[in-house]
Parts: sequence; C-alpha cells; structure tokens
Amino acid sequence: MLSPSRVLEGAVKDTMLKYIGLRLVQSVFVLFGLSILIFFIARVVPGDPARAMMGYLATQDQLQAVRVEMHLDKSFPVQYYYWLRGLLHGDLGRSAYTKRPVVTDLAQYIPATLELILFATLISVVLGQAMGILAGYFRNSWFDGVSRLVSYLGIATPSFVIAILLMFFFSQVLHLAPSVGRIPIMMTAPPTVTGFMVLDSLLAGQFSTALVALTHLVLPAFSLAVIHIAQEGRITRSSIVENLGKDYITMHRVHGIRTSRIVFKYLLRPSIIPTVTVMGLDFAFLMSNAFLVELVFMWPGFARYALTTMLNKDLNAMVAVVLVIGLTFAVVNLLVDILITFLDPTVRIQRRGG
Amino acid sequence: MALLEAKDLHVGYRTFEGYLHVLNGVKIEVDEGERVGLVGETGCGKTTTVKTILRVLPMPPAQVQGGEILYRGEDVLRMSARAVRDLRRREITAIFQDPLQALNPMFTVGTQLRDILKDSMGGRDGGRLTKRDIEKRCIVALQETGMPDPERIMTNYPSQLSGGMRQRVCIAEALSREARLLLADEPTTNLDVTIQDQILRKLDELVDEKGTSVLMITHSMGVVRDLTQRLYVMYAGSMVETARTKELLARPRHPYTQGLMKSVPRLTGEGISEGIPGRIPNYLEPPSGCRFHPRCEHVMPVCKEAIPPFYAVDEDHFAACYLYRS
Amino acid sequence: MRQERKADFLASLAQRRRTLAKGWYKYSRNPLSVLGLVVLVLIGLAAALAPHITPYPAQAGAYTDFQNAGKPPSFEHFFGTDRIGRDVFTRVVFGYRFSLLLGIVVLGLGVAPGVVLGLIAGYHRGTWVEAVIMRTTDVFLAVPPLVLALAITAMLTPNLLNEMFAIALLWWPWYCRLVFAVSSSLRSQFFVREAELSGASEAHILFREMLPNCLAPILTKMTLDMGIVILLGASLSFIGLGAQPPTPCLGTMVADGAKRLPGEWWGTIFPALAIVIVILAFNLVGDGLRDVFAVEEV
Repeated sequence: MLSPSRVLEGAVKDTMLKYIGLRLVQSVFVLFGLSILIFFIARVVPGDPARAMMGYLATQDQLQAVRVEMHLDKSFPVQYYYWLRGLLHGDLGRSAYTKRPVVTDLAQYIPATLELILFATLISVVLGQAMGILAGYFRNSWFDGVSRLVSYLGIATPSFVIAILLMFFFSQVLHLAPSVGRIPIMMTAPPTVTGFMVLDSLLAGQFSTALVALTHLVLPAFSLAVIHIAQEGRITRSSIVENLGKDYITMHRVHGIRTSRIVFKYLLRPSIIPTVTVMGLDFAFLMSNAFLVELVFMWPGFARYALTTMLNKDLNAMVAVVLVIGLTFAVVNLLVDILITFLDPTVRIQRRGG
Repeated sequence: MALLEAKDLHVGYRTFEGYLHVLNGVKIEVDEGERVGLVGETGCGKTTTVKTILRVLPMPPAQVQGGEILYRGEDVLRMSARAVRDLRRREITAIFQDPLQALNPMFTVGTQLRDILKDSMGGRDGGRLTKRDIEKRCIVALQETGMPDPERIMTNYPSQLSGGMRQRVCIAEALSREARLLLADEPTTNLDVTIQDQILRKLDELVDEKGTSVLMITHSMGVVRDLTQRLYVMYAGSMVETARTKELLARPRHPYTQGLMKSVPRLTGEGISEGIPGRIPNYLEPPSGCRFHPRCEHVMPVCKEAIPPFYAVDEDHFAACYLYRS
Repeated sequence: MRQERKADFLASLAQRRRTLAKGWYKYSRNPLSVLGLVVLVLIGLAAALAPHITPYPAQAGAYTDFQNAGKPPSFEHFFGTDRIGRDVFTRVVFGYRFSLLLGIVVLGLGVAPGVVLGLIAGYHRGTWVEAVIMRTTDVFLAVPPLVLALAITAMLTPNLLNEMFAIALLWWPWYCRLVFAVSSSLRSQFFVREAELSGASEAHILFREMLPNCLAPILTKMTLDMGIVILLGASLSFIGLGAQPPTPCLGTMVADGAKRLPGEWWGTIFPALAIVIVILAFNLVGDGLRDVFAVEEV
C-alpha cells in the first residue's frame, strides 16, 4: 500500500492537484447552473407565488409583506441577484413553513439524515461486500444462488416498499424494533453536540438512550441499505469471479503466497474497484431514497424537511434544499474519484502522466 | 531416483459440450540437474501437464482421472494441501508464457516479490527472514536477471515495464527461492524476437549457476537445441518420443516427430514444406488407440486399438509407435 | 431499375429477419430473461384489456361500498377490498395501466430529444456546441431525478399529466450522455470521415451513420429505464404527488394501505408486490438484451 507521505509528495509535484482543482471549478459551475434551474422552477408557479406559499388564510397585508421580502414583484434576474447576494452572505432566506431562517432549519435537520445515511452506508458496505466476496469465491454454491435472488429482488423493490415491509415484519408483527422517529417521545434527548443521537448520548453518558437510539436507527438504515447491498454486492461478485480466473492469481498460488494474503490483498483490491466506481452514482439514489424512508419512519431529517418544503411550495427552502443535495453529490463524486486514484495504480499513472 | 517422475497421467476438463480428455497417459521424467525439453504443438496438453504438476488446475472444470506424479518419491497428486504448498514454496517453481498477465497490475513489483519471499520462509536454510534480508534478496534476484537499477524496478508497476523486463521480473520471482525444479512454459514466446535470445541466455546462465533442474516447454526447435539435454515430444495428450536432444533432432523415429522436423523451415534445402496433413484431434471425441493414427502415413490396424507404449529404438531413445514393436 | 430496388429491399428485409432470429436465439438461452419477457407480455395484455378482464371494472374509479370495505382476500375478491370497499385486484390491474402508460410516455418524450442532442454533441465534439449541450446535461444530472421530479411536480398541480411531463423533462440527459459517449468516439472513425468527404449532410451522418451504432445501448437502457421510471412514478404517487384519487395508482395504493397495517395487510402488500414484479420483469428483460448485444469474446 502506498504510504501517505509518498503519495502526498507525488501529488504536490504533479497533475493530481491540478485534476482536483479542475474538478472543483467544474462543480462550482454546475452548481451555479443548478441554482438557476431550481430558482426558475421555484418561481414558475402558476398563479400567485405568495399565495401558494402562505396558504389561503393569509391576509393581503401578509401576502404583500412576503412579496416585498422576496422581491416577487421584480423581474426574474433581479430576484436571482438578490438571492445570490444573500447566499454569499450566508443567508438563504426565510422558510415560509417553519418561519425560521432556512439556515437554521438546515443545521437542525441535516445531522439527523447524515447519521442515517452514514449508518446505512456502513451496513451496505459491510454486508454488501461480504456477500459479494463470498458469493464470488464460492461461485455456484447455494450461497451464491441465494445472494443472486436477493440481489434481483433488492434492485427491483422500491425503497418505500422495503421500508413498509420491514416496518410491517419487524416492528408491527414481531415487535423487535421501533418504527417512528429517533427516540421514543417519553425519552429526553441528550444535549446536542454533534447532532448524532447515538454519539451525543454516548458523550452525555446516557448509555440506555444511546442503545435505544440505535434501535431506532436500524430499520430505516436497513431500508436504505438494501438496494446497495443488492447492487454493489452483485458487482463485487462478478468482479471477484472474473479476477479469480486471472493468470496472476494462479501465479500467486504457484509462488506459494498464502491463501489469506491472496484473497484479502491480491484478489480484493482489483475486485472492489468497479464497485467503488458505482458508489458515487449510488449515493445519489441513497439520497433520493432517504426522502421516502424518512417519510415512512417519520424520521425528522433533512429529506423529510425537503419533502415538506416542496409539498408546501416553500420557495426559499426548496431552492436551498436542492442546492445542498447538488453540493453533497458533487463532493461525494469527487471523493469517490480520489479514492479510485488511490486504489487503482493504472488510473493513478494515467492521471499523473506516467 | 528421478527428481520428477510422472506416470500414466489422465487429465480432462468437464465442459458444457462434454468431457475433454486431454492428457492421455502422459509420462515424463526429469533427473536431478537435468535440463529436459518438452515440445509439441499448441493445444497438445503441455500447459495442462505443468499445471497438474503444480496442482493449480482449476478444479471444477478440470479432473485428474488417474496416474501419479512422483517428486522425490512422493506422489504430488495425493499430498495434503499443506505439503503441496511447501512444495511450491521450496521445491518447484514456474515461469509462464505471458508476463503481462502473470503479474498483478495493481501492486508494485517490489510488493509482489517481497510477499513471495515472506511466505516462503527463507528457502532451505530455514528460519525467518528480516525485512532487510527480504529486501536484499529481492534486489539480488532482480540483479541476477540482468536488470539495471533494480531498486527503481521494485517501485514500478508491471504496466510501466517493457515485455522483456516483465519476464525478467517473473524469472526473478521464480528463482528468488532456491527451488530444485523449474517448470518453464514457453517463457519467451510472447516476447519480441530481438529479446528472446537475451532472456533465454540469461535463464540458461542462472539455472546453470544454481544447479536447478529444468523442464522447458516450447514449440521452438531452436530453443530446444541450445538449452536442453533431453527431449520429449508430445502430441494430443501423450508423449510420442523421447531421447537425448542431439540424438532426437538428428534421428527422429516417430512419424509425428519426423513430420515436425520436416516442417521446420531451413535456410538450406528444399524450402518450406507442406507440414503434416490433417489437424490435431478434437478432445471431445479423440481418435482411438494412438491419437496420431488418422494423420499417419504408416498407419496399421493395431494403431487404432490401443495406445502404443514406449518401445526402445536405440540406446536411451524411445518412441511410442507400433512400427518399432519388435 | 424498379426490379433492382425491389430486390434490394427484399434482401435487406431477409437480412433483418435473420438478425432478429439470431438475436432471439441468443436471448432465449437465458431462462430468466425469457421468464421476464413472458411476465411483461402478460402484464401488458392485462393492462391493455383491463376493463374486459377484471371482475369489477367500475371499482377502478370513483366507487364506494362501505359494507364491503376491508374484506380479506377471498374468491370474490382475489386481493381483498380496500378501506372504501373497492376490489384491490381490479385496481391493481388498472394501476398497471397507468404505470405502463407513464413509462411509455416518459420514454417516448424524453429519449428522442436526448438522443438527438447526444448525437449533435458528439459530432461537434470540442466545439462550443458540445460544451453547451453537455454542461446543461451536467446541471440536470447534478441531483438525483427524484428530487427534481418532486420539485417540478410539487410546483404544478399534482396529476398524472404533470407527473409524466415532469419526469420526461428529466429523462433526456441520461440518453444525451449515453449517446454522446458513443458518438464522440465514432466521430473520428473512417466511415464518418468518408461520409463527410462525399458531401453527406449532417443530418444524414448523424442519423444514418452514427445512430445505428448507438441503437444497442439505447434499447437496453430503455428497457431498464421502464422499470426505473415506474419506480419513480410509484415513489411520487406514494408521496401523494402524481395521479390523484380516485385514479388507481400503485404507489398511492401502497400509501393508503400502509395506514391499515398490520391488520388489513392486503391493501398494501398486493400493490407492493405488483410493483416489484413489473420492475423485476423489466430488469430481467433488460439484462437479457444486454447479453444479446454483448460482443462475444473470441
């Protein structure tokens, strides 16, 4: 494995940093374009945007106040300019639904979804890769057959169906796990340090709360993870099967390298590359599935907030939400790309220019 | 006692279309310190033989139906997995045809070399090696193959090296442990013609120095002439002739060998020959008896009945042909 | 002269038949793909003939019968009745109608523009034309499709038409990218250069020379996309956007039925299964197509 210092010195000297820099600039442009797109969508409401936002109970005065505040009476480019100016000052406007600055809403809800997504990713990587490796190594065994079936079903089932089924079996029928929210209503939440319920509980020494929070995490995280276990596991499996037949693996055996080293080092590395390549794109689906899963499990997270703002035509929040998603996606893609460069020397050589 | 002695090997592959009966009673012997060549057309089973000796055949499709392979008296085919592993680490080593495929593209040459030494536990001297020892031995192994700047090569990835250098790395990998027997499966066939000679000569030097016995597989008569003392000729899964190299090249007796010799283009003489009529058999439904009989101009009824054993045609010269039955 | 042209035409027909026959042979080697195709055909027929083959076609729309509400699966009602008394089986079959319609319309509207733009971008690779087209594609693909579909559908009045329009609007970038990858690599190939030199119009080059090479991946993607679009549509109607009640939509049925879990499980489980089966079938067929088009390695 490359030592970090070696890579760093290499990177500084040559084109890797240039490559990252280029990608960052590209992303900024794309996000810019995205902001225009979503801004356009948000303002192209048939009818009166102010009325759409405030609902039919609002008075004319209230409506007028909103119109002025959001510059709805001005032309589209002017509105965009005001919004952009606000963005550069860290102000994303006020949410018509929660009546708070959007930034506050984001700060409150993002950690909840982040906790969920991270846990789901952890589950899907561990279980998915384990399944893929075992299925590939023991190709055509009963395990392989079962995992193939699971993969087909996992890919074809929408996440909300999985969420409902899981809730049905484990929560309502078997009473093994809770199905609503992050902690029971009766329990008091620990003081917010990171926003991660489990972590905060541990930091506050409330171990029982941490445990309960974990049980609340399990079902929604699993609902999110299933599709990734299915898809990425399958890719890993076929990758392992393909690489097992490669001559160099035979050579490793001929030269007497021990089996554990062959499997966990020489076989594994080439096999997970195609999977990692796909993880970036899959993350997009993870985020969109979060919308549905948070809805089913009433998880007070960013995705559910996003959903609510869209359903309520909360223009400021909607624009902010879409941009956050776009930004996250761009960052994750870049990270995945960098990870691949670390793992795959052929790509590294290409990027470095030999 | 011979170093390596294979007797009556029958190996086949189970495929979608049926059972490919490839090795049909293969017998081969390599003595201590000897250099034995194995010639035959592509597809006659040479690589299968080597892989069977090393027990690296892909076992789901491949099946060993019978025979034994005695290495220093012990049957490799019936050894435990651990014994086979020890065999690979300390006794038998191999080089294969395609150096690009033989090296893992994701890891540096150094990593692969080091791991080989790490897991071999220091060859016959016994005892574990320290990191510095391993490093030194890697450099030495690379140096021995004639590579300039071995330290830099250690940090390179296989894709950064030329074909000739890659094969040198493979040779270094193979000879880094003090193995007694080297199985070389067409080590230079995939290389540039200009480098083939260089590599072969280097290989020759090295095995000479180390006293390693060699089983060299090739389909080039030139290689065989220069590098081997004894020769086996293989056709469609069995050995058809064996003798000391000079003797066999001068006086081939088996009809197939004779046809082979005639096919080699010579600078003097009658020009390019037409080759041997017919094609190598289909292993799904191989010919009965002697597998060469459909293409042989001396075919007799008995040839179709059973595969001929080795008959002595001269001192230390055997041919598996009923022509020499008496 | 006319005889020649007729002979040519017949010859090309015969060749096309042969390629189809070969393709079918390859496809049918995989039993799962054939199964998927069979299931799809069945579902398609059922959806098309829905009013004629379902036991209670009237219950697909506005209908209430509280006396029959919440009945478990039985001989009269294969999938039971929902909370206002409608036959779930009938509604599922009609639901398939709308799901398939959604898929066809979205792909019909979205694929063509995407393909055309991709061809243009690939042909004009390296110029501002490509830059504009591909950057726009990047912007649309910067967020997952569900998010934009949600935003657009939420802004307009939720109904089936708007749902189709919104998703179709988002679908062209995938095909643009796919076709761009193929066409930009074809751009420098000899047959394109030849066509240019012999004075062929750009339209001819795009559609007669480059497009046929893109057909295989386009068809495969379209098949797999049907499943994805149906999934997206089900997700949207699950949230409540999309076709409004009383239109039978599989996603809405799952959402409605979910409120009655675990007691009246049939209201949710059957529509959910129906969704899974149709998506699975499209996936299997798409996989089979991919195998058919895969170049066999020598």
